[in-house]
Amino acid sequence: MSTSKIILIGLASFILIICFWGCNGYNGLISADQSVKKVWSNVETNYQRRTDLYSSVIKTIEGSANFEKSTLKEVLEARSKATQIKVDINDPASLEAYQKAQASLQGSFSRLMAVAENYPDLKTTAAFRDFQTQIEGTENRINVARQDYNKAIEDYNLRVKRFPSVILARLFGYTDKPYYKADEGTEKAPNIDFNIK
Amino acid sequence: MKFKKSITCLLLLVSFVKMGVTQNIPSRPSPPTLVNDYTNTLTSDQVNAIEKKLVAFDDSTSTQIAVVIVSTLDGADISDYALKLGRAWGIGGKEYNNGVVFIISINDRKINISTGYGVEGALPDITAKHIIEDVVKPNFKGNDFYRGIDEGTNAIIKALKGEYSSPRKKDRGASGTKMVMMIIVIVIILALSSGGGGGGSFMSRRGYGGLGGAMFLGGGFGGSGGGSRSGGFGGFGGGSFGGGGASGSW
Repeated sequence: MSTSKIILIGLASFILIICFWGCNGYNGLISADQSVKKVWSNVETNYQRRTDLYSSVIKTIEGSANFEKSTLKEVLEARSKATQIKVDINDPASLEAYQKAQASLQGSFSRLMAVAENYPDLKTTAAFRDFQTQIEGTENRINVARQDYNKAIEDYNLRVKRFPSVILARLFGYTDKPYYKADEGTEKAPNIDFNIK
Repeated sequence: MKFKKSITCLLLLVSFVKMGVTQNIPSRPSPPTLVNDYTNTLTSDQVNAIEKKLVAFDDSTSTQIAVVIVSTLDGADISDYALKLGRAWGIGGKEYNNGVVFIISINDRKINISTGYGVEGALPDITAKHIIEDVVKPNFKGNDFYRGIDEGTNAIIKALKGEYSSPRKKDRGASGTKMVMMIIVIVIILALSSGGGGGGSFMSRRGYGGLGGAMFLGGGFGGSGGGSRSGGFGGFGGGSFGGGGASGSW
């Protein structure tokens, strides 16, 4: 066998390996991107779940006579603001806006609950006790979903930034995505406590 | 792809080990058992009685309820602890995520029932809370742990029953075809690497083929996490959790 033939075959197998690596890396990028989308939808679902829960609590409170209207109005405003925001996970600004809106909704809801404390006939109902359990569970779910999201982002961003997969990422226009940062001052799950004994 | 998979499996394994160390979560019991009392609160007869009941429930519905009794959480939040334990052990089936963690921390006097993604509908947070408050707590207050756990698991089973039918057979069928596929692919790779005749291309080709085989084996190994059925409980299925459930303290 002549040397040129060997070189040719060597070159061909080298190209083959490159192609193989390229496909592999590209597929890896795609699946990382997909899993980010999947876990993000989980985050949104859980926030939606919380908003729905808030809404039913608000309905209960609205039903009770002469409840202080100003805090209630504040929550309603925060809710409509939060539900209006559409997030594009490639856009850090929209994610931040979403996070802020959710945090402010949660803050105003907590204040509403604090006011509800003064209405004993309200807070002692079984429905209210169940709300507390549900809200607790939902906050847990949100925390978990956010952690999972950040994990998926980490995996994805590593692929996008690290050599050699960065070449593929650049080639196909994949850029890194923003993390979901902990809410300012509320790194832990919020404490919504109705003090029901 | 397979290579990535085996790497992920390895990383997952490593991260589980790491998690076990940093979070002090007990490692997955071997041989697998559904009732795990690390405190000797229950007598072995009591453990066996509950285990038998839970294994029977697992056999008929494939839903896995794991009872874990620890002495302390080391300051961790109990729902967080239960979630991590549930994920690390893989309680419930991988496809259906139908696992429940029923955890008790004796020194913290805390109880938690955590639900896998697949049972959140059948056992909603409110139901879990009611089971803790109305069934488990009264017994724990009277220091009757066995009765609390026994009746608590009964209540969980009652909640789950009827809402979930047995997917176990399907599960095993799927893994069976996977095995056959794996064997076929390995045979093909072997045939290719030994059959593909001489010349300069031989070395590179064999290198690739052999590597491929190894990758595949790696992936297969990671996937078959909790097999080996030996009489009692068949092992955890790799189910995942999303933070559902409720907690309480007595």
